Amino acid sequence: MPAQLSADIVVIGSGIVGALAARRLAQQGASVLILEAGPRLESARIVAAFRNSPLKGNWMAPYPPSPWAPHPIYVPKDNGYLKQAGPYPYPAEYIRAVGGTTWHWAAQAWRLVPNDVRIKSLYGVGVDWPLTYEELDPWYQEAEEILGVAGADNTGSPRQHPFPMEPVAEPWSMRRFRERLAPAYPVVANTVARNSRGYDGRPACVGNNSCQPICPVNAQYLGINAVEAAEAAGAKLVPNAVVYRIEHDAKGRIAALHYYAPDKSEHRVTGKTFILAANGIESPKLLLLSASSKYPNGLANSSGMVGRHLMDHPSTSLTFYADEELWLGRGPQSPSSINTLRDGAFRSQHAPYRLDFTNISQVYGVTNDLIKEGVYGAEFEKQLRWRAARQVNVKNVLEVLPNPDNRIALSAEKDAMGIPKPEAHYAIDDYTRRAAEVSKADFARIAELMGGTGLRYSAEGQFANNQHITGTMSMGNDPASSVVDAFGRTHDHENLFVCSTGVMPTAATMNSTLTAVALALRTAEHILPAKQARAATAHAGREADLA
Amino acid sequence: MATNLPGSIGTRCDSPVDPSRRRLLAGLLTAYTASLIPWALAQPAPHADRGAFTALSAILVGRQALDAAQATRLYDALAAAHPNFPADVQALLALINERHIDPLQLQGVLDGEHSPLAPLPRQIVSAWCLGVIGSGEGARCVAYETALNAVIVADVLKPPTYAYGSYGSWAAKPNT
Ligand SMILES: Cc1cc2nc3c(=O)[nH]c(=O)nc-3n(C[C@H](O)[C@H](O)[C@H](O)COP(=O)(O)OP(=O)(O)OC[C@H]3O[C@@H](n4cnc5c(N)ncnc54)[C@H](O)[C@@H]3O)c2cc1C
Ligand code: SF4
Repeated sequence: MPAQLSADIVVIGSGIVGALAARRLAQQGASVLILEAGPRLESARIVAAFRNSPLKGNWMAPYPPSPWAPHPIYVPKDNGYLKQAGPYPYPAEYIRAVGGTTWHWAAQAWRLVPNDVRIKSLYGVGVDWPLTYEELDPWYQEAEEILGVAGADNTGSPRQHPFPMEPVAEPWSMRRFRERLAPAYPVVANTVARNSRGYDGRPACVGNNSCQPICPVNAQYLGINAVEAAEAAGAKLVPNAVVYRIEHDAKGRIAALHYYAPDKSEHRVTGKTFILAANGIESPKLLLLSASSKYPNGLANSSGMVGRHLMDHPSTSLTFYADEELWLGRGPQSPSSINTLRDGAFRSQHAPYRLDFTNISQVYGVTNDLIKEGVYGAEFEKQLRWRAARQVNVKNVLEVLPNPDNRIALSAEKDAMGIPKPEAHYAIDDYTRRAAEVSKADFARIAELMGGTGLRYSAEGQFANNQHITGTMSMGNDPASSVVDAFGRTHDHENLFVCSTGVMPTAATMNSTLTAVALALRTAEHILPAKQARAATAHAGREADLA
Repeated sequence: MATNLPGSIGTRCDSPVDPSRRRLLAGLLTAYTASLIPWALAQPAPHADRGAFTALSAILVGRQALDAAQATRLYDALAAAHPNFPADVQALLALINERHIDPLQLQGVLDGEHSPLAPLPRQIVSAWCLGVIGSGEGARCVAYETALNAVIVADVLKPPTYAYGSYGSWAAKPNT
């Protein structure tokens, strides 16, 4: 039990986004309390659990859900936590534990491209954001300096100040892609929260190639680093505290939070300002759960948009054998991509996309394939080496447009604590499907340039999900069509803010975490402005004219 | 890539063996199977079931040496998971001995004949090459960095979660 059940700021969720908002506010001298549904985890145990897991392809294996704070599991079988209402499945993945889902992310830490926030004005699709890329720039910079982001300037996202670090050393495999695809496709280093040198007490990458499920040496920034920094700044964290209701007063201000401990004992926490940061699925679920007679459709939901506009990044892909030995699996998992298709006039017709190369070791997958094919004897070893050296994969990362029918709702089914499970309603529209079709020509050309044989396209009409949950609490200037304002404040409740990928009103083509962190830092600044000197820098940055 | 496994049976050939246990693996093989795994001929096989497992394993995974301690562990785990395991192993080895089945054709032959032995090769190869016994929810991991799929590529790759090398070492052309 915590000594303190009241604070200036109470944050729901200790993922990277909530924890970094908490850290900044604690640094400004606020008393900050973080309520986290899941338990504390230990890196060494996660590494051991992965090594001992019989399903090495299942990165969730080392993260079994706790009975009081379940999260979705699909392998070896669906645990039925995230209900699927269809028509297309939305198998979102996240982790409910101290530090949240970035325990096993790929640490791609991208900025948007400037036009991403104006697609309605420019291309007549989706919606415009209530802020400009230029307004985001200083917050991106602050986020990149906290996370320790390594990157190059040639990815289409302008910046005022240099990256904190040089790009991470390019694996041989990616160098060969870069050399052989030029000039048709420029292959560039991914922008990543992964150390290319010692940074902030964490070491440079040593190439364990296990970024997802876990970086054993913490060369990539994790939510747990954000939690530790928040705690060092004075924030208090209560683990195993499952918030199940947000309570408002007669005026519509938030008065308190209610949480269950694992024994289902009930606790009430009061505060002045509340930040909802329980991710793009659990956060809207909690708003819907907190319906009252004054707010029968749930909190922050006068627009009816809570949970709606669910977006992610679907992917189709091509696997093939290159005509030379590349040996994926040396160095980090996601080093390089093609970024020239992130924007263009075609966006009025079909989705933009990024083309992403994996550098994940192919040994596990190839071994399974060989066993499945019944390749035994001396041929097994020969084939394993041949295929593991040459098998490569390229995927697209497709934009999905906001559509109110795609949404997170409350399921009639309840979890072990008696809390309704989330239910996903999802479809992939023609705008996105057309882009998948267009990108097939890129796949084919890439394979051709790499001397590809044994081409295997992902099954027609099948999309893999990238776990970038967006849109469910979209920001906008109009309270009739959005949930929060440009600073993350809910239109309906003056002292309730949302920090999440879920506030992004469109998904663009980039992994969404860095944008959510930048927005959360901006929200924290709005709640409690930083000391004079810092504010001046940030302001100067904001005013600056971007090239 | 040669194994550098300290306990490999292949390196034990000239260690003194108790004469009362001098039954050799060769006794379990025909000329055909012996030709697939010549190294095994002089291996001691004090126990027919375990000897048959070693011989069959070597044929299936196509290796010229297998780690003895790993063989014991895998045999015990497989025998515990599948009640008929020892008899099935003997039967499959006998079948290959008699019919001179090429390992590459084996699965097709067993599937084509709807043989009750059809699941056996995958069970054994999964154990050696993935370090996994069983499947689905009942699957169990018994080896990772010593599983053969890691050993076979160990000159180029480290199993995920093991550091590849100092920062940037992956930029060089793989040395194979
Ligand atoms: C395999 C994988 C790879 C990924 N790779 C990338 C990548 O390379 N780049 C990228 O940008 N993104 C990536 N992502 C997405 C990224 O992990 C998320 O965008 C990010 O974690 C979002 O941060 P968050 O803090 O909003 O949510 P989370 O990290 O999910 O944290 C939310 C926290 O809230 C807590 N919580 C939930 N409900 C409650 C409740 N009722 N009461 C109290 N606490 C609660 C949860 O337990 C959790 O700790 C990846 C995701 C996955 C699954
Ligand atoms: S490659 Fe290894 S050290 Fe580098 S970030 Fe990934 S897991 Fe960490």
